[in-house]
Amino acid sequence: MTTACPFWLAERATEDSHLVSYSHTSIVGFPGAAVVTAVRPTYRRYRIAIRPAPDLVRLPPRFRVKVEKHRLIGLVLKELVRYRGDLPVILSRPCVYGVFSRPVGGLAPKEELCVGCLRCTVQHPEVVQIYPNPERERLGDSYLKPAYVDTLLYEARTGHVPVRGAGYRGPFGGAGWDGMWTDMSEIVRPTRDGIHGREFISTAVDIGEKPPQLVFDERGEPVGTPPKVITIQVPFLFDYPPRSARPRLLLEILARAAQEIETLVMVPVDLVVRFDLAGSHVVPVVEKETWRWLPRLSWSPRMIALAGWNRERVAELERRFPESIPCARVPMDSDVLDLVRQGARVLHLTADYHGMQGGSFVMDLIRRAHQRLVEAGLREEVTLIGSGGIVMAEHVPKAIICGLDAVALDTALWVALQARFAGECRDPETAPVSFPRLEPAWGVQRLKNLAASWRDQLLEVLGAMGLREVRRLRGELGRCMFQAELEREAFAEVAGYGADA
Amino acid sequence: MLTRRGSEQSIIRKHEEALHQGYHRWPTLDFGLPPAMGDERWPAELILATWLQAETGRPPVNGLEYRVGRSGGGFDALDFRFLPPEQQLSESVPVDTSIPLNRRPGERPVEIPIPWYGGGMSFGSVSEQIMLARAKAAKEWRTFTSTGEGGYPESLVPYRDHVITQIATGMFGVREETIQWAPIIEFKYAQGAKPGLGGHLLGDKATVAVARMRESVPWVSLFSPFPFHSVYSVEDHKKHIDWVRTVNPEALVSVKVSTPTDIDMVAVGSYYAGAHIIHIDGGYGGTGAAPEIAKKNIAMPIELALPRVHRFLEQEGIRDEVVIMASGGVRTAYDIAKAIALGADGCVLGTTELVALGCTRCGNCERGRGCPFGLTTTDPELSQLVDPDWGAERLSRLYASFQAQLRDILRRLGLRSVRELRGRVDLLVYRKPGDSDERGNRIGSGQAR
Ligand code: SF4
Ligand code: SF4
Repeated sequence: MTTACPFWLAERATEDSHLVSYSHTSIVGFPGAAVVTAVRPTYRRYRIAIRPAPDLVRLPPRFRVKVEKHRLIGLVLKELVRYRGDLPVILSRPCVYGVFSRPVGGLAPKEELCVGCLRCTVQHPEVVQIYPNPERERLGDSYLKPAYVDTLLYEARTGHVPVRGAGYRGPFGGAGWDGMWTDMSEIVRPTRDGIHGREFISTAVDIGEKPPQLVFDERGEPVGTPPKVITIQVPFLFDYPPRSARPRLLLEILARAAQEIETLVMVPVDLVVRFDLAGSHVVPVVEKETWRWLPRLSWSPRMIALAGWNRERVAELERRFPESIPCARVPMDSDVLDLVRQGARVLHLTADYHGMQGGSFVMDLIRRAHQRLVEAGLREEVTLIGSGGIVMAEHVPKAIICGLDAVALDTALWVALQARFAGECRDPETAPVSFPRLEPAWGVQRLKNLAASWRDQLLEVLGAMGLREVRRLRGELGRCMFQAELEREAFAEVAGYGADA
Repeated sequence: MLTRRGSEQSIIRKHEEALHQGYHRWPTLDFGLPPAMGDERWPAELILATWLQAETGRPPVNGLEYRVGRSGGGFDALDFRFLPPEQQLSESVPVDTSIPLNRRPGERPVEIPIPWYGGGMSFGSVSEQIMLARAKAAKEWRTFTSTGEGGYPESLVPYRDHVITQIATGMFGVREETIQWAPIIEFKYAQGAKPGLGGHLLGDKATVAVARMRESVPWVSLFSPFPFHSVYSVEDHKKHIDWVRTVNPEALVSVKVSTPTDIDMVAVGSYYAGAHIIHIDGGYGGTGAAPEIAKKNIAMPIELALPRVHRFLEQEGIRDEVVIMASGGVRTAYDIAKAIALGADGCVLGTTELVALGCTRCGNCERGRGCPFGLTTTDPELSQLVDPDWGAERLSRLYASFQAQLRDILRRLGLRSVRELRGRVDLLVYRKPGDSDERGNRIGSGQAR
């Protein structure tokens, strides 16, 4: 991870930080600046190491296999006669996945192996029926649906991109993220080498101060202190868990995973202090109630998030931690323009875990915030982080297209660690989330796997669009399509399409 | 499934017979609907209705919904504004379902008697038996099927007048003679289910036979990169077309593209590069394997792309010189008719054909030995579950049912030819799921439940 201003870096500064990791950075004109050390950049290709991390808690099987045993015995007897005792023929079963394998075959089906192909029931409807397992339907909640849980667990288990046969199976579109498609390009790729392993697409993003221009004195030296910027290698960081579940081990897992992924983790400042979570990847979050913990912070974080934006507190923060980037953590429907005019340069816009804030969905709120800053000519100077309702890999590029620089992940992380929701997991203050007995190495690997899978999926989306870096995706509404707009255009002359559609 | 060589054929026959019985018995609804079958796009009823049509050649009369799915939008939210019965055409009035595939003035006319043909499914992603079944049905109906990007098995040569040779980015199996045999050559730029991502045949499916056909190494994964490395502009694309037209001057050229925001510009560019057919594959199309993120999220559904392309080509004054074929979620005869009303000339079928041959839409095509029904597999044993003649018969009957329904739709709209339906969005009506059609039937909900 690099701390430096991209405008001020030495000669290699324009290189892709995805490809180049500066163990040391030099800042032109600021020989005395805190972050300046020796010069030699070293090359290291960014990757997240994946490893299988099987579920700790066994999931209920996806399907229930109900066999009518007496009919099965009848079938076997019938076949005994028909095939005159030719055992290989008689014992050959329809399931190619071993559900009816030895020792007792269909009399005790191995449900955990069933993939729901339905071949058995197609062949023998009176003997076997396959049912979706209702226990599986109870995973997640009304927003983070059971199918999402399945996908997240697969990603956390394997680190792979979910790939399946057959086409898309779900609703045509829908509210929220489902009503948005990303663009592709028929003939353009970032490079000619194809996506599979050789293509350099940067997923790095910058968080911090981004002044529109530099000011030089008469000697040609830049004036003022260098802007503070953090580059993280993926456009997602980790938010802290809900109040109901903040054990030390969980926060340690989040912090270590964030460190290894080279991103950031938000942690309430009191827990930072109590659990001794120091590190350049840790972002203490300070609320009014926890302000008193700030003096006990014995190290200098690269970023400190303040719940709300209060000029006196910000001034105090900057006095105590001059090297830290202050971040305003505010509800997503806040007046961002006002905050920016007050001096905020990094904003973490929050919504509830279902993506709602003040009656609006995050997708619309992000667009609104981004648009206000664009219109005011201030967007380039500000970093927008957003959280709430971003629970699937595809939500990341969609949120960035709507205007975020980076997203902060929440419930998807808990699911990756096999948390269970007792009811609706919506309000971070009251969400009833419980975790299994966590094993640190396992937990870190699960989060790394999830991050690797999401990053690879982001690469797929960027590659399809022909974009070489995720920074260029921000606010690129021209590279997406909204269902409502496309339908208005396509169905304008179709009778009945209108207000109620 | 198979244990000893000596019993192999008996075992295959046993399962084949049981499967055929199942395809017959489930649509009778004697066992209700299979509880774990189906999804919003292909509900169980639609799958069973397709099985039934493939058996009988007629749409169901037992209440199975055969027209729409339950996806809540697109084709599933559209219906037709049929004329009052007294204004509809009578059964005795002939209705033409043929469409031209070459609209270029002064060029050799090519027509198909039904407004659809089979989409590309490569040898490797499906078995040779499936390719053969599709080719036989195409021949019987004087339409086409496409090789996909996996080569041209010898067994297809007798059907070559009905086989489209696909050239995709990996160029697998493309030889001079396969271009010369082809009445239509299809350049696949992108695929709706994984737009912009190229193709990937898993090593398990690259059997010795598949590898020989693709001139590759057995059991090694094969990538079709994206995009064509020789095409970075419409001019480059024209070079491609010139190349195949030099090898086979008689061939029509089809360009298969996905549905980006600028699909209208892509269509115009393809036309000026010399394409006869622009095959637009919407985002919800089928695939043997694709990242889930791509299937749902990249590129727009075909229903929303067609009006945009149709109108733009009209505005450019070239709509009547190029053929638009639509695919990517076209499941039923009603979908075909709606796609045409939205601006297509005709459609390209893929998944529907697999469903007719027994696909349950389980999504396990890429897993282990491949499809357990013998469809999307090259497993030497599983692929024997589908006899090509049986498969061709199923497809033929499905086509017959679709044609009958299409004629019925056209008569009820007062149209004598499917060509009159093209771009007639005024004949469509948007209905929310759960609304009733003009016969009082609930949209997206047959009477089977
Ligand atoms: S549904 Fe398929 S996987 Fe499950 S038991 Fe039946 S044949 Fe086996
Ligand atoms: S595995 Fe076979 S039955 Fe299942 S979706 Fe694929 S083709 Fe259809």
